Amino acid sequence: MDMGAVPQPELERIEQAGGADLVVGILDADHGAAGAAVAMVRTALTELSKVARVVVLCNNGAQGPLAAAPETESGRAPAVFAYDLASAPAQTPQAGMVGAYRSVFTVGEKLRVRACAVIASHLQGVTPQWIYRLLQPVLDLDFDLVAPRYTRHRMEGLLNRSVLAPLHRALYGLQLQNPAGPDFGLSGKLLQRALGMDSGSLRRHEREPLTSIAPTAAVGGFRVCESHLGARSQPPTDWMNLSSLLAMILGPVFSEMEGQAAYWQRIRESHAVPGFGLPEAAAEEGGTMDVHRMVESFRLGDQNLQDVWGLILPPMTLMELRRLSRLPPEQFRMTDDLWVRIVYDFALGHRLRTISRDHLLRSITPLYLGWIASYALEMETAGPPQIEARMERLARAYEAGKPYLVSRWRWPDRFNP
Amino acid sequence: MWNQVGQALSQSMNRMLSQMASLLPGVVALIAALLVSAMVAWILTAILRRSLTSVDFDRRVARWGFSALAEWSPAKSPTLLATRAVAWTVMLIGFLIGISAFDVALTSQFVIRLFAYLPNVLAAVVVLAAGSIVARFLARSVLIGAVNMNLQYARLLSAGVKWLVTVLAVAMALEHLSIGGGIIRLAFGILFGGIVLALALAVGLGSKELVTRSLEREASKTSSQTMQEPVGHL
Repeated sequence: MDMGAVPQPELERIEQAGGADLVVGILDADHGAAGAAVAMVRTALTELSKVARVVVLCNNGAQGPLAAAPETESGRAPAVFAYDLASAPAQTPQAGMVGAYRSVFTVGEKLRVRACAVIASHLQGVTPQWIYRLLQPVLDLDFDLVAPRYTRHRMEGLLNRSVLAPLHRALYGLQLQNPAGPDFGLSGKLLQRALGMDSGSLRRHEREPLTSIAPTAAVGGFRVCESHLGARSQPPTDWMNLSSLLAMILGPVFSEMEGQAAYWQRIRESHAVPGFGLPEAAAEEGGTMDVHRMVESFRLGDQNLQDVWGLILPPMTLMELRRLSRLPPEQFRMTDDLWVRIVYDFALGHRLRTISRDHLLRSITPLYLGWIASYALEMETAGPPQIEARMERLARAYEAGKPYLVSRWRWPDRFNP
Repeated sequence: MWNQVGQALSQSMNRMLSQMASLLPGVVALIAALLVSAMVAWILTAILRRSLTSVDFDRRVARWGFSALAEWSPAKSPTLLATRAVAWTVMLIGFLIGISAFDVALTSQFVIRLFAYLPNVLAAVVVLAAGSIVARFLARSVLIGAVNMNLQYARLLSAGVKWLVTVLAVAMALEHLSIGGGIIRLAFGILFGGIVLALALAVGLGSKELVTRSLEREASKTSSQTMQEPVGHL
């Protein structure tokens, strides 16, 4: 679908006019909010310098002809060309989102843009400042990747906190709060690199933009920074489909690990990246967290999935899990070392195809729920500084456990469970 | 009279001896065929054992999920099972070739019928193997899915699905082998229907739990004063 977002005549017109400076993808705009999204982009552009032409792509799922915003008559404000990203019919929402990312990147690469911004969060919480903060470091300070930094409550970003961020830090040496975005700012150079690597060793359907952008930037030696964007509104968790979410996110992460193994095995330590914008204080938290159901899910998994986990995890880990399942809920604590080894063993199992990859990824669900329960109990009365310190300890545990991963990765037969 | 009896006995003894003498070449041919097939079997098993050991066949079979095969194998070694199967197959072929040295018409008919039956045997083996793989895959899918849905009877569901597919595969294999006929079909129908009924009861009775939990959740949303903390994963 890649170039279907912009009709060829329009594309040629823009190219003849000198291409475009920016591409902005608004991936969560429903049909009614597309206009508001374009207006938000215009507002953000007023603060950016040396921007003449901008292409805005809205993923509102509209079918049929594209609608271009009228070119401004003013010579000062940038010209904005807005188009709809019509998705292919009968696509899953996840596949549609991946396709939308690729479309935005491809349009940006074709038009040889200087920078590209993608906003995939719910527009409800997005402000023009978001677009500015994702683009300004690229345009004015020559950064190649601007990753987002959100203001989060205690129980938000759990998969990021538990796996994505610390794993990315340990593997690629960059301390990012959200290596999987979903909101990004990219330079034209990084766009070309990301699209070029689509035809690399990993099959295209195994690489997803969300999970491959940050590793691509790290491996390619691109300049990476973070921007504080504020609070992000998230949809309520669909607990019945949590395993699908884990499979959808962790599958590409583990596949990317496999593709970049030669690089991350050489990384010894991590470092922080420059940050822009001021962090906002999180609103006061309210409500309670019922962890008993999660502990029960963990126990159910421990009782019933020993045969499956036994193909992935070593006996020592299984014993620790069995011991953990026997603890009363108040004492339920999953140690960082245990969790880190579980994640690394699942990554290895994914690579070796010990069992079907879909089965492997879905079987991690009870373990993930166990981690959430342990985290919720431990951080019940903790404030933001304590939570940050706790996450820092977890990240260091990932780095400390990396030799275990490297050993098992290089000599899987020697450590066969 | 005694002379006649003696002559009759002598004649029958001569006939018997000549019959035995006529069988001797066939027996020698049979023994030679068995010796040659034994030698061929020994060479083939030696080659096969080295090849399978070099690719670590035993561990790969366990990793592919066929740990039951290791349980059934002599000395829990699928390599040994495979080599012995090859050896006995070669010996059987040698035996069939050897007995064709006797009454050609009778043995050749037997050999032809045996080889005509062989495709059915192979098809049955393929059906059983495919059925085993599919049963194992589906059972694991159902187990993981049921656990993730917090269903307490996840193992029962998984076992039910596995047996369902296995029974189907066995019935199809027996159909290919033309064994049992109507009795097998009847037994299959009863067994299959019984398993489906058991699964339906398990799902029906077990889903009471799901419905109850769902209703409790709805009730707690409207009546509870305590707010649930929002949870996000990304």
